[in-house]
Amino acid sequence: MNKLIIYRMLQEEIRLNTSFASGKGFYSFPLLVVFSGFLAVIFSDEIISDIGYLDFLKIMHISLIFYGLFAGALAFFGSEFLERIFGYLGLIIGLPTTQPISQRKITFLYFIKELIFYSIFTLLPALIGGLVGSYVNGLEMENVLKFSFTLFTSFSLGLALSYLLSSLYRKSLKSAIIGTALTILIYISLFNRIALTPALEWYLNNNINYLILSLTLPIAVSLLATILITNFYETGTIKTIGYKNRFKEYTEKFRWAKKLSAPPIISKERIDLSRSKTGTKMFFSFLFPLAFLTFLNWFIDKGLPIQVDFNTIFYGVMIGFFGTMLYSWLNTIDSPNFYSTLPVTVSEIIRARLVLFLTITWWIPLIFMILISYMSSELNLLPIGIIVMITVGVYIVNYTALSTGLRTNSALFDAVIFIKFFFISVPPMIAMTILSLAIKYSPSTMLIALSIICGFLTMLSIVFYNKIESKWKNEPFD
Amino acid sequence: MTVISCEQLSKKYDDFLALDDINLEIEKGDFFGLLGPNGAGKTTLLKILTGQLKPTTGMANVSGIDIQKEILEVKKKISIVPEQESPPSFLTPREVLEMVCSIREIKNPEIEKWIGFFELEEMEGKVCRNLSRGQRQKVMLGAAFIAKTNIMFLDEPFINLDPIVQTKVRDWLIDYVKCGGTVFLNTHLLENAQRLCNKAAIIHNGKIQSIISLKDLKRQDINLEQLFHEIIT
Repeated sequence: MNKLIIYRMLQEEIRLNTSFASGKGFYSFPLLVVFSGFLAVIFSDEIISDIGYLDFLKIMHISLIFYGLFAGALAFFGSEFLERIFGYLGLIIGLPTTQPISQRKITFLYFIKELIFYSIFTLLPALIGGLVGSYVNGLEMENVLKFSFTLFTSFSLGLALSYLLSSLYRKSLKSAIIGTALTILIYISLFNRIALTPALEWYLNNNINYLILSLTLPIAVSLLATILITNFYETGTIKTIGYKNRFKEYTEKFRWAKKLSAPPIISKERIDLSRSKTGTKMFFSFLFPLAFLTFLNWFIDKGLPIQVDFNTIFYGVMIGFFGTMLYSWLNTIDSPNFYSTLPVTVSEIIRARLVLFLTITWWIPLIFMILISYMSSELNLLPIGIIVMITVGVYIVNYTALSTGLRTNSALFDAVIFIKFFFISVPPMIAMTILSLAIKYSPSTMLIALSIICGFLTMLSIVFYNKIESKWKNEPFD
Repeated sequence: MTVISCEQLSKKYDDFLALDDINLEIEKGDFFGLLGPNGAGKTTLLKILTGQLKPTTGMANVSGIDIQKEILEVKKKISIVPEQESPPSFLTPREVLEMVCSIREIKNPEIEKWIGFFELEEMEGKVCRNLSRGQRQKVMLGAAFIAKTNIMFLDEPFINLDPIVQTKVRDWLIDYVKCGGTVFLNTHLLENAQRLCNKAAIIHNGKIQSIISLKDLKRQDINLEQLFHEIIT
C-alpha cells in the first residue's frame, strides 16, 4: 500500500506541476539542470584554482543543504499557498481526513515522495550533466559519482531538516524557533571537528563510520519529525472573531493611487496582507536567502587570494532582487477567483499589488539594509545602498509582475519563463555587483556608472509596468 | 429581445472536447436552466459566457456585447455566482458587499438589506475564511444580488444552502425575473429547474441535446426528470 501511495503522490506532483506550467516547460526543466551540471563540472577547475579545493567542496555541500531546505519549505509549507492559488485543492496528503490512515504516516510517505521527486527531476539530471562534463574534462567518473552521492546525502539532510521544522511549526511558532536554534547548536557541537558534513568527511578521508553517519542522520531527523506529528492539529493561525471593518478606511487612504489601480482593490489587498499576517512570513523569508548569501560570501572571502569586500551596496543589489519574493508572497495570500465575478481585470489586480509592494512592504528590505550596513560599519554607504535596493527592487518586481502575473510561484516553474527571467535579472545584477565591489578603488567613477545603470533600470521598469496592461488586461483569473 | 446568445461555440482542453458547437438564444425575462449530468459542460459554458474562459471557436454575446472583445463591459452588466463559493478569505461579509458596491460604483447600495436578507449580521466581525460553506455561499449570493444588474448567471446556487434560505432565494429570483431580469441557471437539481425555469436546455457530453419550453412540457404532461433520464441514458 505504501508503494502505491508514494507512486500516486508522484503522479499527483507531476500533474500539479504540469498544470502550473505547460507540459513542455516542466519537462524541459531537467534539461536545463543537465546543462547546469555540465557547466559546473566544466568550470570546476577554474573555480577550484580560485577558491581552493576544500572550500569548493564545502560550497557545493552548503548549496545542497540549502536546496534541500528550500525544497522542503515548498513541500511542507506550500500546501497552504496552493490552496490559496487554486481555491480548494484536494491532495493525497489530505487523505487522513476521510480515510483510516494516520497523518503521521501520510506525511512520512510525503517526505519520501519529495526525496524521490527532487532526486529524479533535479539531482539525477545534474549528475548526468556532471558525468558528461567530467568525460569532457577528463575527470575520474568514479570520483564524480562518489562526490555526487555525498551531495545527495546533504540534500536529504536539508529536506529532513525542513520536515522537522514544519512538524515543530505545526505545534507552535515558538517550538519552531527554539527547535531551529537547538538543531543548529547540536549540529555545530557534534560536527565542528569535521569537514562540514559527515558525508564530505567520508569523501575526504574514507572513514566508513562517517558514511554510516551521513546515511543515518537524515533518517533520524525525518523519523523525529514524523514522531512529532500529531493526528489532530490546527493549521489556522488567524483569529476567528472581532475584525473591525477597515474596508472604507483603506479605500480612502489609497484614494491617491486611483491612477495606478482601483482604491477598493488596493484596500482589499491591504486588508488581506495584514489579516493573513503575511508581513511576518515575508520578514522571515528574507532571512533564508540572506543567510545563504552570507555563508557564500564568507567562504569566498576566506578562499580567494585577494580581499573581496561585500559591502552595503552589494547587499542593496541582492535585497532589491529579493523583492521578487515579496511580490510572490502578495500573490499567495488569497485566491483571485472572486475577482472573476466582478468588472475588474487581472492587470488591475497586478497593479494593486505593485502599489502595496511599494508602499507597505518596503520596510522589510529596509530593516535588513539598515542592519547590514550597521553591522558592517558602513552607514555612510547606506543612502546609496537604499537607492540601489529600490531601483533593483522596482525593476525586478515590475518584470516579475509582467512575466508571471498573479501566479509567480507556478509560472517560474515554466522553463521558458524562467530562462527569460534569468536573462533579465542576472546581467544587471552582475554589473552592479562588480561596481559595488570596485567602489572603494574609484568612488566617483563607480558612482557615475551605478547612476547610469540605475537610470537605465528605472526606464526599463517603466516599460515593463506599461506593458502589464496590454499583456494581462484580457486574461482570465482562472 | 435576445440578451444571451452563442453561435458554434466550442471549447477544447488538449484533446478533450468540453463543448461542441453550442448554439443558444436566451430572451430578456427568461429564467433559463442549463441542465446536465456532472461533467456535461455546464460550468464551462457559463464560464465562457461570463468571460472567465476563452472559447476555442465560435462567438458569444451578452447584452449585445461580444464577450471576447469587451469582457469588462459585459461584467458590468451581469452578476455571477460561480460554482465554488470563494468570497475573499480575509474580508468580513459586510466588507465584501462594500467592496462589490465600490468596484461597481453602485449608488445607494443596499448593504443593510442584503445583510438582513441572508442573516449575515451573525457573521459580523468574522472573516469569510472562517465561515461555513453555506455561509460563504450566502455571501456570494449577496454579492451578486446587491449589484442590481439585469442578467444573472448562477452556477448551482442552491448547493449548501439550508431549505429556508433556498426558498427565500427562489422567491427573490422569481420576483427578479418578473421585474424584467434574466437568469441563466446551471443546475442538476431538476426539481428547482422545474419550479423556476420557463426555458431549459439539456447538455450532455458537451453538446446541447434538447431545448425545452417548460410550458409545452407541462402541456404535454411530461415530467422534466423523465425527459432528462430519457435523453441522458
